[in-house]
Amino acid sequence: MAKVVIDPLTRIEGHLRIEVEVENGKVVDAHVIGTMYRGIEPMLRGRDPRDATYVTERVCGVCAGSHGWASSLALDKAFGANVPAGGRIIRNLIVGAMYLHDHPLHFYHLSALDYIDVMAVAQYQGKDPGLLAVKDKIVRLVTAGDTAPLTPRYKPDDFSVNDPELVTMAVAHYLKALEMQAKAKKMSALFAGKQPHQSSIVVGGVTMLPTIQVVEQFRSMLFEQIEFIEKTYLQDVLTFGTGPLLPLAQAGVGGGSPHYLSYGGFARDNEGKDLFFKAGVIMDGNLSKILAVDEKKITEDVQYSWYKASAGKTPYTEDTIPDLEKKGAYTFVKAPRYDGKPIEVGPLARMLVMQPKGLMDIIAKYNIKPGAVARHAARAYETVLMAQDMLTWLDALEKEMGSKDFRIHDTEHWEAPATGQGAGMTEVPRGSLGHFVKVADHKIENYQMVVPTTWNFSPRDDKGVPGPLEQALIGVPVPDLDNPVNIVRVVRSYDPCLACAIHLIDPVTNNVQKFQIGW
Amino acid sequence: MGNFDLLKVKGVSRRDFMKLIAATTAALGLPELIVPQAANAVEKALNKPPVMWLEGMDCTGCTESALATLNPSPAELILDMLSIRYHETVMAGSGHKAEEAYQDTLKEKFILVVEGSTPGTAKDDSFCMIGGRPFRKILIEAAQKAQAIIAIGSCACEGAGIPGACESGAIGVAELLRNEGIKTPVINLPCCPVKPATLIGTILYYLTYQKVPPLDSQGRPVVFYGSLLHDNCPRRGHFENGDFLTDWNDPIQKEYCLILKGCKGPKTYTDCAQVWWNDNANYCINAGSPCSGCSEKDFYAGFSPLYAKQEMFKLPGIGQVDADTVGVVIGGAAAVGLGVHLIATAASGRLSKKDHKEDM
Repeated sequence: MAKVVIDPLTRIEGHLRIEVEVENGKVVDAHVIGTMYRGIEPMLRGRDPRDATYVTERVCGVCAGSHGWASSLALDKAFGANVPAGGRIIRNLIVGAMYLHDHPLHFYHLSALDYIDVMAVAQYQGKDPGLLAVKDKIVRLVTAGDTAPLTPRYKPDDFSVNDPELVTMAVAHYLKALEMQAKAKKMSALFAGKQPHQSSIVVGGVTMLPTIQVVEQFRSMLFEQIEFIEKTYLQDVLTFGTGPLLPLAQAGVGGGSPHYLSYGGFARDNEGKDLFFKAGVIMDGNLSKILAVDEKKITEDVQYSWYKASAGKTPYTEDTIPDLEKKGAYTFVKAPRYDGKPIEVGPLARMLVMQPKGLMDIIAKYNIKPGAVARHAARAYETVLMAQDMLTWLDALEKEMGSKDFRIHDTEHWEAPATGQGAGMTEVPRGSLGHFVKVADHKIENYQMVVPTTWNFSPRDDKGVPGPLEQALIGVPVPDLDNPVNIVRVVRSYDPCLACAIHLIDPVTNNVQKFQIGW
Repeated sequence: MGNFDLLKVKGVSRRDFMKLIAATTAALGLPELIVPQAANAVEKALNKPPVMWLEGMDCTGCTESALATLNPSPAELILDMLSIRYHETVMAGSGHKAEEAYQDTLKEKFILVVEGSTPGTAKDDSFCMIGGRPFRKILIEAAQKAQAIIAIGSCACEGAGIPGACESGAIGVAELLRNEGIKTPVINLPCCPVKPATLIGTILYYLTYQKVPPLDSQGRPVVFYGSLLHDNCPRRGHFENGDFLTDWNDPIQKEYCLILKGCKGPKTYTDCAQVWWNDNANYCINAGSPCSGCSEKDFYAGFSPLYAKQEMFKLPGIGQVDADTVGVVIGGAAAVGLGVHLIATAASGRLSKKDHKEDM
């Protein structure tokens, strides 16, 4: 048996170390290790609750907007604020635009280099002027002996795509996607102030009273995104997933936990009943039985995390203090469990709960199993759905703007209440995100976040059951110990965000039943 | 081989290159005259400058912000302008391949970019480990060998931003270097996150003049951080008139001064009012959001609460009235909605700019 350590695991958000045991060319054991901790939540204690949207926004600059949004949803409840339709829609548009940023960026800039042999571009023999320019660029970099940051890298393996035509197209799209992700951030910023780290989302609504000109600028930029997402991003994912990567897709490499969770999110009405992403739970891979989400089934274990053990097990009752000397602990990430089981969150979970026909047909036609490739496909597919739905949100916003009492903020509930509590549970690009706040004496008494990567990259729980990624790594082929490219493929397929995953969770005594799921 | 020929080999055509330099200088508001000089300097550098970009206790927001540039484009930034040898979020290699890139870069004449805070002492090293080593030690090692260090984002600068307010012992780069007696020059580019034009402009300046730009007392380039936001705020006239925004829904108040919503503009040195974010799409104040003062060392802890007017921020004319009274005046006025600015104006009268400055 041989041990392989990958640290730093790059092209993700944050600091991650992966340790695996390899036997007969396959992973037999895996440890997923988060190696950075800031401690943002305890810092919030005693502060003006309105600061939380601003501060938690800065938990992560990749899923920008996500935490500020979830925080505002939690604070809305704690303050008793009724967010007007204008505020709700603009929040959705701000975060929606960031999905259009996050997902293609994840595919092209964080993942694609694991699947293509960039240097095959030099062999391109076609006549497409755009692709010849890409070839020219790469050849010049190679000639100059300066191919950073495209090298050094792991060696291409049997699954790497080295067809010059396909690779050159992929590199051209890598460059195009660099521009599109910047434009998606610009789009979001039209309502958000700036991106990353928008300023517009506050408790009660948003701060940016829109003009029709800004809405129409957003719409025209959205059309440009849709063109790219449908004709380039989704097509590339399908070309690779049902072409050279089909064996990986059909083998379900990186499958992991058969349980999936989606809180649901992006309310299309003020009551939060009509959600764009549906809420649901799938256990044991049973897609024909979508269960309702029951927040009482959420617990967190810390036996293998660098935190002191506590009496309470739910995110609302546990007491957590860092303990760097703890024996057996190996990560700053905690181990959330649903009904006692590790569970996957994110695009694949959302799409399996939602089961859009187009995607399910592709999965059935090509016999694709849950795994790294399926995650990329689900992510691309939901981006298409999101972008299309956003057009209807813009229509709804313009309709609201036409009404005499158009509002974006609940001014009546701007001041912090003496007491209050609330949960903001929603879907952000990387999966199900929950923020929980308790207000006492007009200040934050407790604040906590249960974050997508905490679910996916959790360590073993108190029963010794590995987390979703740790399970997904078992059986992954590693024929060459110096070139563990399959491991990084599986890890990156979750689009991990370690800055999000690691934070100190506070002792809280919130009443679980009072939290509602879904908006 | 001439200098430009070598640059051409790097994958940049002369035309593209001049366009890039011109666009960059224009975006920064630098005179056109500098274009040939900057182009010449970059060409003379022979190689695209090797850059090592370390991420400590960060959120990757500054990387994302740098990649939000559209003029120059992100591809031009990471492939044409710079040679990014080590950057955990964009580099191809992982694990020992990444370590190899780090070691190779140490042997070169490189610029070190640092995103995020660092643990200040060995006691807190466990809070940030990379490749099994404390980030603090990696930073010290790289800092000693770098030509110059550019600390980007509030976390890496004086005060350490939000991590600086936490209990994990996080400090900025310059503070660590002072503690360690390391003399490598540090340029601080705070803001949460760093503004792409500021970062690109600083790199361009360094390449053009081969030296650190003039810095202020917080180690920030005066060219970007030399003026008070409040003095350049398009809402300044409303401030002087006592027109304060109390209701985000009211179209009449849309452009009003945000000081009652907690705006820190009067204490904040940044060019945000002149150089907007995301390809000039927007910035906090234009979006109706109070400035949080993220370019200052007092950010975050010294400026919290962010959404309430604090006593250190005085209103024109009623600066002599105690803060509680102001609260009552404004609070009462808010109840009658649009009347607020009239009442506040009546209560204050107008001030000359000089008087007002003394108030601030």
